[in-house]
Amino acid sequence: MRGVIPALVVPVWRTLPWRTLGAAGAVGLLAVGLPRLSGAHPDPWTALALLRSAALAFALGLAFLLDDPARHTTTPVPTGRAARTALRVALVAPVAALWWTAVLLLAPGAHRPPTGAVTLEAGATCALALAAATVAVHRTDAPRPGRPAATALLATALLAPLVVSDRWVLFVDPRDPRWATAHEHWAWLLAGAVTVGCLTLGEPLGRFRPTADRPT
Amino acid sequence: MSPASLLLPSAQECRMTVTVSASGLGLRYGRTHALDDVSLRLGRGVTGLLGPNGAGKTTLLRVLATAVPADEGAFTVLGHDPATARGRQELRRELGYLPQTPGFHPDFTPFEFVDYVAILKELTDRAARHREVRRVLAEAGLDEVRGKRVKKLSGGMRQRVALAAALVGDPGFLVLDEPTVGLDPEQRMRFREVIARAGEDRTVLLSTHQTEDVAMLCHRVLVMAGGRIRFAGTPAELTARAAGRVWSSTGRDPGAKAGWRTGAGTFRNVGDPPEGADLLEPTLEDGYLLTLDGDPAEVTA
Repeated sequence: MRGVIPALVVPVWRTLPWRTLGAAGAVGLLAVGLPRLSGAHPDPWTALALLRSAALAFALGLAFLLDDPARHTTTPVPTGRAARTALRVALVAPVAALWWTAVLLLAPGAHRPPTGAVTLEAGATCALALAAATVAVHRTDAPRPGRPAATALLATALLAPLVVSDRWVLFVDPRDPRWATAHEHWAWLLAGAVTVGCLTLGEPLGRFRPTADRPT
Repeated sequence: MSPASLLLPSAQECRMTVTVSASGLGLRYGRTHALDDVSLRLGRGVTGLLGPNGAGKTTLLRVLATAVPADEGAFTVLGHDPATARGRQELRRELGYLPQTPGFHPDFTPFEFVDYVAILKELTDRAARHREVRRVLAEAGLDEVRGKRVKKLSGGMRQRVALAAALVGDPGFLVLDEPTVGLDPEQRMRFREVIARAGEDRTVLLSTHQTEDVAMLCHRVLVMAGGRIRFAGTPAELTARAAGRVWSSTGRDPGAKAGWRTGAGTFRNVGDPPEGADLLEPTLEDGYLLTLDGDPAEVTA
């Protein structure tokens, strides 16, 4: 195993879904940057909504991070899936951090919500996307689990404001007295997503039903 | 009597050194038994795995390749037991696997893709790994296209890339799932050459629908149907099951289990011939058809 990860950096870098991530990142930047380009001055709530939309757009791209057309060819190899998935996440993390920094810089300074809190929301959203992808890899045989993972994330994001109980507030603005409580919830979400991601990071040892090219 | 106990070892099996041994393997998808009490023993050389669609061939190969765990039973490959994480990893170090639908990173060249798989197989010394990649690409006949992107290659060439990826690292156990499907006759001949060479000093399990592949390559053959092994023996033993049960007639024989008009205009029939029938020399395919049609209780090897 020694020396495998450094040797994998370049080939794994090349297998990452850069086009999807690039498109998702561009949509996020556009969402935040358009008001500035158009000279508009969004109110604090709109500025926060735009930042949340940007984070969701990038997270939807991240849901495709574990897509691997060569999955069937590379499943039974001694280098475990956990190491390979962790490498993918590690390679994309600095890019994601740079992108988020750019998003924050583009956001109108006058109405920019607290950076730490909104970064926590973005981190939790991205972690949820990655957890959805690792669960999809763990529970199915699909080489490209990105689409169902992204669909699940999008559905969750759209439905959450409607179905989440008032006692479990998430989507509030900084002037709301529940802002701190909401961010405790975001922290719990982040911890939960990371836990699920770690638990499903390894090779699927339980049973799953093949989804593509069902074996005969 | 259980199907497993029906698979009595032949004289050849008794002499061979067992490299892969499985007993009572079972796996279900919902209510379907994809594998039902499968037991087998393999030695060095090429073993063919025949069976109709839905027989459980791919599932058996995936279980033996540790791509999916079985619900029941146990197996070892070259002494490694995949029930433990360490055993599974050791097994995978000895494994070459060509899946039924191999996937590739389309922007990689054959060299880059096989090199990637070689790294995953823990070949970390760059110079030695590149030598090994060049060796398997040459063995698979990919020397001339090793710098071309995989997405620009034909289906047959891609299949060879997958074979090269399976061969890299000199694995002791090679699992090939229908490697010749969709190939033209010339490509199939090239594949046979490579597989035959690989079988000289390795254990190769070859799943195929092509009885010619088995007749030309394999020293042993397994026939699966309904998730069970229905026959285990040599190709000659499988062919012999049709001795006296293939005959020629001028018209379709209603008593035949299978029959078709040949190019010569006569009918070739397989089944229970009528008295005085004009018997023909059986082929492996005849034995295979009769094995699928027969009662499992008749199966011996």
